[in-house]
Amino acid sequence: MSIFVQLIINGALLGGMYAIVSVGLTLIFGIVRIVNFAHGEFLMVGMYAAYLLSAKFGLYPYASALPVTMLLFGLGAVVQRVIIQPLLSADEHIQIFATVGLSTALMNLALLIFGADLYSVPASTAQHTITIAGLTLVIGQLAMFACALALATGLHFFMKSTVLGRAIRATAQNRNAALLMGVRVERIYVIAFGLGAACVGLASALVMPLYPVTPTIGAYFVLTAFVVVVLGGMRSMYGAFWGAMLIGLVDSLSGYYIAPDLKEVVYFAIFLVILIFKPTGLFGLGAGAEGSA
Amino acid sequence: MIAVDSTTHAAESQRPKLTSRLTEPRVYCALAALSLLLIIPAISGSTFVVHVFVTICVFGALSTAWNILGGYAGQLSLGHTAYYGIGGYTAALLLQHFGLSPWLGMPVGAVLAAAASLGIGYLCFRLKGPFFSLATIAFLEVIRLLAIHFNGLTGGSAGLVVPLNIGWAWMIFREKFNYLYIAFGLLVLCLALSLAIRNSRLGYYLTAVRERDNAALAAGVNITSVKLAAMSISAALTASVGAFHAMYLTFLEPETLFSVSTSIEVAMFALIGGLGTVAGPLLGTVLVMPLAELARGWLGASANGLHGFVYGTVLVLITLTVPGGLVGTFGRRFAALIDRLPGGGRRRSEVAARAPANISGALGAPILSARDLVKNFGGLVAANNVSLTLHRGEILGVIGPNGAGKTTVFGLLSGFLQRDAGAVEVIDRDGISRFPDTPDGFARLGVGRTFQIVQPFGKLSVLENIMIGAFLRHPKVEDARAAALRVAKLVGLEDVRHVEAGTLPIGGLKRLEVARTLATEPSILLLDEVMAGQSQADTQRMVKLIREIRDSGVSVIAIEHNMQAIMNLSDRIVVIDSGRVIAQGAPQEVVREARVIEAYLGKDFAYAQGL
Repeated sequence: MSIFVQLIINGALLGGMYAIVSVGLTLIFGIVRIVNFAHGEFLMVGMYAAYLLSAKFGLYPYASALPVTMLLFGLGAVVQRVIIQPLLSADEHIQIFATVGLSTALMNLALLIFGADLYSVPASTAQHTITIAGLTLVIGQLAMFACALALATGLHFFMKSTVLGRAIRATAQNRNAALLMGVRVERIYVIAFGLGAACVGLASALVMPLYPVTPTIGAYFVLTAFVVVVLGGMRSMYGAFWGAMLIGLVDSLSGYYIAPDLKEVVYFAIFLVILIFKPTGLFGLGAGAEGSA
Repeated sequence: MIAVDSTTHAAESQRPKLTSRLTEPRVYCALAALSLLLIIPAISGSTFVVHVFVTICVFGALSTAWNILGGYAGQLSLGHTAYYGIGGYTAALLLQHFGLSPWLGMPVGAVLAAAASLGIGYLCFRLKGPFFSLATIAFLEVIRLLAIHFNGLTGGSAGLVVPLNIGWAWMIFREKFNYLYIAFGLLVLCLALSLAIRNSRLGYYLTAVRERDNAALAAGVNITSVKLAAMSISAALTASVGAFHAMYLTFLEPETLFSVSTSIEVAMFALIGGLGTVAGPLLGTVLVMPLAELARGWLGASANGLHGFVYGTVLVLITLTVPGGLVGTFGRRFAALIDRLPGGGRRRSEVAARAPANISGALGAPILSARDLVKNFGGLVAANNVSLTLHRGEILGVIGPNGAGKTTVFGLLSGFLQRDAGAVEVIDRDGISRFPDTPDGFARLGVGRTFQIVQPFGKLSVLENIMIGAFLRHPKVEDARAAALRVAKLVGLEDVRHVEAGTLPIGGLKRLEVARTLATEPSILLLDEVMAGQSQADTQRMVKLIREIRDSGVSVIAIEHNMQAIMNLSDRIVVIDSGRVIAQGAPQEVVREARVIEAYLGKDFAYAQGL
């Protein structure tokens, strides 16, 4: 029984990590309507940045969260401006190729610069565990869980209550109508893409103490992030959060009860079943609301 | 009883003989260029050059096979190495456990991969765009993880070494050049199939599905089955190449055989060369692949990641600059240059088919009956117990104010909308009563429809657009072309038949809608506001055309807002308002009915007129 409870706790904490990695993807898809296949590589760039800040300047990974987040905002904004913007009205397959190409280029650039070696930061506190009522909790995972919750809530209120947030939502719902109402749509897209990337920046500073960075770390996380976003109904922040929790639990339980190397098979299977039979996601809006994806 | 003359009046076969085609510059230039893939390595003699050319042939073949699905059908599979891996493992395992020659393992792998692709395709084709791509990646990952997990069978992550029996029977050689013969053969096989599909009904249908699935459905195309056909052919070819490549590499591991990045590379070569073109995928491979191989050969491990970086960058640049790829962007100009060579510039003679025989049968008998059709959109009742009957040989006008539900009724009569209740009965050409329920099913039974919002296949020429319709009754390309030419003349699109359809003005597009539908040789024609946006002269012409169509035995239902034209044209009028049939009868009677005037002009007007 205690093993089961521990697995549930582990799953929820793992879910916190998947949530924080996926929030940015949801944001970008929800607003710019682009599936960013380079999302994982954004995470990788952020992790290398956090690693360098820690190795060269001795910055504690959590302290690098601010500069890394800003850096990623810039990266996202530039990518939107230079690559995505000109392709907004292009065929869908061209958009897919563009972000897939970006993903390939970034991953191999990292391989070229850093090689295939693992780099990790010596961050003792984040890897420490605390024990509450016989349950073991990793501090770094707790921090991620709290940040994921705070980020999802914060973004929710930002979208709901600020002028910029409203403009972003208006653009997401109907680009042309927003344009006619005087919203500077192109700038909104740049901000939205930047924000989405910034969320990954925050995530990378939090993930860095727990996972060593390699050029392929993005590929490791990104498919899970896609699973989470699809489960969450593509555009809903809370949907993504609950999707992440579900995948965290599936990950933790199937890793223990089925086989550690098949846990991904289990959640990809769930992903495919949901994508195919309920394409609006588990926690998503009903079909037809806001135009289905 | 109804007797339909079903002779199709096929045009004389105009396909030139193979030997005479060899003197066409496009053919001999292509063959010469292709033979360079053998000649260059033969001259150089270096094993490294041979290796590079084997790899070019392998990836050129993979990319050509991918293009059948990704280019022709527009389904961007990024998990295509699943089939490559299935082919490789099947051949290797059959060899290892049963001593079966890879020449036999290859077709077994192809069949397995085709079967797997049918399952994957059936599920994934419900998804669109990036979600289809994601699902194919997810399937690839599942297969890869399973291959690692069941290491008793596959050798798992540690890999599997192919038993090294030398000789042609075992597809393993000391002399590297022998590999090139096989790789080249596979490439030619893929190219030949790709070319054959391009110039067949399947090829046209795939393009139609990629461009506009609704218009393809209206032309009687069964979308799922043509996509599955493309998927399974593509998968079988990919698996065959995979089987050979496994023998060539002699070592199999899940990471390389089921690699996402290889899948992306294969798709990328096709994009660079030109998606949906025959030569594009090979051209893309020839241009980009050697760069990577040379970098790997010269710089070794220090250049790890360089080729991938170049690939990714090239990919992004291509999407931003020449998204049509090299062949798609420059192909036409290049072909014009080639045509200046000796033997070039021959034009295909164009012969229009004769008109199909008139549809005979008892005039006035019901041919299409809708009974108590109901359709709700959320809380809105768009069709509320609509019943109407079309009689053979009549023109039935459907009128009603905006938002009355006319187009909804059309959707129900052609299978594009699923009815909530009621039934649609169609009498087919043999006089048998049928109840079709899919759009393509309606089309095949002879119910042709046009769309109010025109649905051209924008990148195809006008004639090709019409051919998509003509294929329904004329499976052969030449016959379909002749039939399409006949229809183009009939509707007055003959002069613009080679123009890209997307560039036509609205009047031309409306006529193209009619033409594509007429080319399906329907016995029942549903016209949705085909006169809107036409000039006065064009309207006259359309009225005349619709009468001619009717006189050939076709029964017509027309939705129209142009009152003068529809009153003039129709034998009978049905008036729809708020989803109900409120009146029907001869045109002159219907317009005098108080309810009709009220529906159009409001109660007050009706009252003021003392009606």
